[in-house]
Amino acid sequence: MIYSPFPMRVVSKREEAPGVRTLKLEFVRQEDHEFFKASYKTGMFGLYGIFGEGESTFCVASPETRKEYIECTFRQSGRVTTTLANTDAGDIVTFRGPYGNRFPIEEFEGKNLLFIAGGIALPPTRSVIWSCLDQREKYGNVTIVYGARTVADLVYKHELEEWKQRDDVNLVLTVDPGGETPDWQDHVGFVPSILEKVAPSPENTIAVLCGPPIMIKFTLNALGKLGFSESNVYTTLENRMKCGVGKCGRCNVGSVYICKEGPVFTAAEVSAMPQCDL
Amino acid sequence: MTRILLKNKLDECIAAWRSAGFSVLAPVKRNDLSRFEEVERSADMALDLQITERTIKDHFFPQTEPLLRYTIKKHDLDSQEMLPPDIRRVFFGVRPCDASGLAIDDPLFGWDYKDQYWFKRRDNAVIVTIACTTSDDFCMCTSVKLAPDSTKGSDVMLRPLQNGTGWQVEALSDRGTALLDSVSSILQESSETPAPPASVPVKFDVDKAMEWLADPANFESHFWKEISLRCIGCGSCTFLCPTCHCFDIQDEGDTYTGIRRKNWDSCSFTMFTMHTSGHNPRNTQSTRWRQRIMHKFNYYRGKFGVNSCSGCGRCTRQCPVDMGITETLQAISNLQG
Repeated sequence: MIYSPFPMRVVSKREEAPGVRTLKLEFVRQEDHEFFKASYKTGMFGLYGIFGEGESTFCVASPETRKEYIECTFRQSGRVTTTLANTDAGDIVTFRGPYGNRFPIEEFEGKNLLFIAGGIALPPTRSVIWSCLDQREKYGNVTIVYGARTVADLVYKHELEEWKQRDDVNLVLTVDPGGETPDWQDHVGFVPSILEKVAPSPENTIAVLCGPPIMIKFTLNALGKLGFSESNVYTTLENRMKCGVGKCGRCNVGSVYICKEGPVFTAAEVSAMPQCDL
Repeated sequence: MTRILLKNKLDECIAAWRSAGFSVLAPVKRNDLSRFEEVERSADMALDLQITERTIKDHFFPQTEPLLRYTIKKHDLDSQEMLPPDIRRVFFGVRPCDASGLAIDDPLFGWDYKDQYWFKRRDNAVIVTIACTTSDDFCMCTSVKLAPDSTKGSDVMLRPLQNGTGWQVEALSDRGTALLDSVSSILQESSETPAPPASVPVKFDVDKAMEWLADPANFESHFWKEISLRCIGCGSCTFLCPTCHCFDIQDEGDTYTGIRRKNWDSCSFTMFTMHTSGHNPRNTQSTRWRQRIMHKFNYYRGKFGVNSCSGCGRCTRQCPVDMGITETLQAISNLQG
């Protein structure tokens, strides 16, 4: 039924960065899990909740190639996220979804992939990254450009290490000026300028970009300068949501409901929206 | 010859519907507030009101509405949906603008994911509308291409008779036909003519205004700042609007048990679109007023093919600072000269 969530059991919890945690959740009821397996595609989101506190909207951070569990990564900032952060293995939380559209990764087959993420926006990107890496043979070169404010703020550090070790992934890490530690070996600078410096070729390449609104804005400029066409750049818009199903009226940008027609859009689609309403 | 319902037979009608299991709701004025409430007799009805202050939306999309009840136990939880009760209701004396409002919102609550809370109430309701033979300074149905005798969203249309003794009745849907059939012995055949509908002056050129709104160059026009300077963001216009449908979802209860509710929310409020990060796409009153106008006369049409305004005029009639859709759309029409 429309506003009824699925009960989910917390399997494990991982500290990613100060105030940022990942929960691994399993379905309590078999039929809910079957529904999820049949409907989840990378890019879709859900409303994660605790009764008595409410619901918060985050992406499904796990890839569509691994549907036994749902992983979600979030920054502890309000009532819901604080309560979610304080759960332990065995506790029951809720999930509504999966909602929204997806990254059309089968259309990316045979192409090079450029993933660009900023800060807490690695989780949605990571869902697409693993969905493609789990079928590595279908795709060309894979480049991941990831930046955070400080070294401590980089999330999924164990996976960053794994991608760094792989010779079929080119990982570019950066932290904002001032965010580096004495032993930091990688780039220092904002994502858009590091991207221009690394200058990946737009030739036969799809770019997937996730980050805060201000980073998306400047990175789209940088991609334009590098010669990427707007139809080959995919991004996500993440507005405040309550219902997730196109009713409550707050996530729209123009006549587009982010929760229904999004959260995944091409840069061309984003350009057509009223920019100052983003 | 057409069928008529005489005012002095209205009590018989109400009694017949009530004994058939219907609740009858009609305009009631109590403690300076007029709205639709359940009535048992015609003397309780305030049918001579031009329009109730509150809309019938309140009875389909209540200000606060339980969605589900939850109980939390250690490592377990239970939640049960709280769908509205199966009560069949007759709404008697609805104004055409309010009836239209319901029809305008149907596609929103029905697209893709169906909102059973809305449709359970819709499916159990019969809308008996009375055409307007008078209007006030704020009425603007004709400006949004509706009319004082518009049948949109109605199951039965009543047209006041010229001689003031009752109404000519017309069924507009199966539900309306069934409702009239249930009181066919109370209705009469008559050749009395209905009074002409009110003449409501057109206040703005909606086509012209929509054309201006559709032009992306006007989205950041200084016009929006000027027209909304005195808006205090109270949200009254949205709460009193027969088509505004935005809501919030909140939990009420203690640690172990409670109710998840759907509560009215408003695009006029700062927090409506505020991100966790502090970023707010609509961070000033002018962008929020623009959102309301654009939603009603551009976005909603783009999605569902109709404007989200039925011309009741409440947004102007009850605005504490005398703003409203009429003023804004008039100003936009005039901008083009």
